[in-house]
Amino acid sequence: MKFIIEHLSKGFDKKEVLRDINFSFEEGKIYGLLGRNGAGKTTLFNCINRDIRADGGRFYLEEEGEERAVQAEDIGYVLSTPAVPEFLTGREFLKFFLDINEGSVQQPKTIDEYFDYISIAPEDRDKLLKDYSHGMKNKMQMLVNIIARPKLLLLDEPLTSLDVVVAEEMKQLLRSLKDDRIIIFSTHIMDLALDLCDRIVLLSHGELELVEKSNLDSREFKEKIIAALREDAYV
Amino acid sequence: MYRTLRISFSLKNTYRVNSILYAVKQIPLIKKILPDALYGVKGLKIFANVLSAAGEVLSVFLGKFLYLSIMIRGIGELYREVPGDQVFLHILLFLTVIGAYMNTSLFEPTRDKYFAMILMRMNAREYTLVNYGYTILKVILGFLPFTIYFGTLQGIPFWFCLLIPFSIAGVKMAVSAFSLRNYEKNGFVYKEGKIRKHLWLFVLIFLVLAYGLPAAGMVLPEEASMLILAAFILAGLSGIRKIYSFSYYREINQELLARMMNQMDTIQQAAKTANEKTISSDTHITSRKKGFEYLNELFIKRHQKILWRSTVKITAACFVLVWGMLLALCFVPEIRESANELVLNWLPYFVFIMYTINRGRNFTRVLFMNCDHSLLTYSIYKQPKFVLKLFQIRLREIMKINAVPAIVIGAGLCLTLYASGGTENPAHYLVLFISILCMSIFFSIHYLTIYYLLQPYNAGTEMKSGTYQMVMSGTYLVCLGMMQVKMPTLLFGITCILFCILYSAAACILVYKFAPKTFRLRT
Repeated sequence: MKFIIEHLSKGFDKKEVLRDINFSFEEGKIYGLLGRNGAGKTTLFNCINRDIRADGGRFYLEEEGEERAVQAEDIGYVLSTPAVPEFLTGREFLKFFLDINEGSVQQPKTIDEYFDYISIAPEDRDKLLKDYSHGMKNKMQMLVNIIARPKLLLLDEPLTSLDVVVAEEMKQLLRSLKDDRIIIFSTHIMDLALDLCDRIVLLSHGELELVEKSNLDSREFKEKIIAALREDAYV
Repeated sequence: MYRTLRISFSLKNTYRVNSILYAVKQIPLIKKILPDALYGVKGLKIFANVLSAAGEVLSVFLGKFLYLSIMIRGIGELYREVPGDQVFLHILLFLTVIGAYMNTSLFEPTRDKYFAMILMRMNAREYTLVNYGYTILKVILGFLPFTIYFGTLQGIPFWFCLLIPFSIAGVKMAVSAFSLRNYEKNGFVYKEGKIRKHLWLFVLIFLVLAYGLPAAGMVLPEEASMLILAAFILAGLSGIRKIYSFSYYREINQELLARMMNQMDTIQQAAKTANEKTISSDTHITSRKKGFEYLNELFIKRHQKILWRSTVKITAACFVLVWGMLLALCFVPEIRESANELVLNWLPYFVFIMYTINRGRNFTRVLFMNCDHSLLTYSIYKQPKFVLKLFQIRLREIMKINAVPAIVIGAGLCLTLYASGGTENPAHYLVLFISILCMSIFFSIHYLTIYYLLQPYNAGTEMKSGTYQMVMSGTYLVCLGMMQVKMPTLLFGITCILFCILYSAAACILVYKFAPKTFRLRT
């Protein structure tokens, strides 16, 4: 499976944020999306998630040589600030999502198995989500986004404000999820991207560009990325 | 000093001009034409500047004109037993004292003060004095034409009419100087807008003195009023020295604006906490349903307090009113005829009543803040079939909430009609009852449809849609206009029922066609 973007463009007023995005993402890999502040990472995600309308271009999934449009259920979108319905308990939130995904979840587990999977303690499972910590909300958000096994998982700076233990747990989780799907992970933190991602993609000048690692060591690779990002002035 | 004056003016003006441009940018259609960089477009800026200047001139004169013409002369005219000139000065005197405390400008926490003194760290003393001087000048210039006009009309000597504005400014300065002295002695900062109990008592007493005494035929003699008002000028003159030499303006403003500083940082947090508080933490609340019915049932049960409590109160109030009406009709037969006429001709009035008691707006707001705000970030929740499924469930819920008081009002009107002598055409009863129920259904559908079609909030729970606000204001104006309509109940009721059916059908078609695209977070 591939996720292909062709000539995607989006501008706000006169400013072209996404100029001419052409890229092909492949299944089984985590892509680290790097770009300076205001480069358009969130805009790109919002276009793919159809939260805003792109000005031009298209994107689609290619499965066994066949093109098909991306449906809402193909996408999981994890935001840096977790949004969870505060009036539900963790268990109720999960039950609701399992209910509405009934039939499309392959080999569903029990609710407690899911909680075990993301390490949420038994005593927290029946608390209202409004009383969850930031890290716990983040885990819930991630879990709900992966339950339906979307083909494409977009993560917008998801690990930035988590403590080290939760961040490590989430990294493990993401690594375990990458088979059969495409994960695009946007971040400001280069070390995190290098540690977790299989490919580094830069968003600069409104275009996506793959950074080849070839035979560089990690210090040289970092310098190459920084140099490329530095060119993207006035963002 | 001149530089401070110039800077503070241009700061205030920039703030106003940008607010005007922002407001213009919220108007649908126009916002599409305007560029995002409109804050830099010269022509638009000139236009906004003209508006801003016009606003300033208006603020100098209009308020004072209305104040003198309504609060003093207008009400003064009602007291026929006492001489016009005396009552004019009497009311003016007492209201001026209230105004000196309630409208100081020196102790009013405003945004421009916050920008200038806190954010831009301008010299607090200079800034305060320059702006205070300007305000006092506005008081004098703004009042002068109208004290001359209304004063001479009431037979007050011309020379004294010239002095009145100085007297109003004088007492303001005297009170301000007194508050400054109080700060020097006790460290107490008087905050305008945050008035404590004993000050309310003071206001109440002075209001009674201003308006109550003349009603009892008592007013201060003209000479006494003139003497006190003249004394205000002297008091003001002595206050000037304190105001000028006071050296703690920065400290006072820090304290005055502290609330505003905190508010700007925590306003969002406060709103979030307030919303979370509406969620019931009762652990016994559960649901046996599945999927969206499960979500809905938990939502309604956990928000029982905010969703149902006011409906219950409104229903109880309607119930009491209906019983009161029926008892009155039983025991005071004279009112039967007019009550009968009322019910048979004034049904349009109930459109506005049904509008005011409708909980639709509140319901959609809670839906967004505590539910959709988070769930709309999940792609799966935005699938068209799910959006429509949830719309149906919610429509049912909001109709239930609104139907309870509607049934009581509808039945109450029928009973009133019956008890006041009834009608020859029994269809009246049916039409009355159904049309009230239809109004309630109409408002339920209206609010939910508009919410689904225009979803006006962004992820930060800010209202981002000018169109939504215009539709809301339009709804209010139409309902208000209905109070002017006088139409036989049968005709209006049937029209109302037909309109409700057509509107519901149109709304549902629109929602089915567009909501899957429009029901998402604003960006």
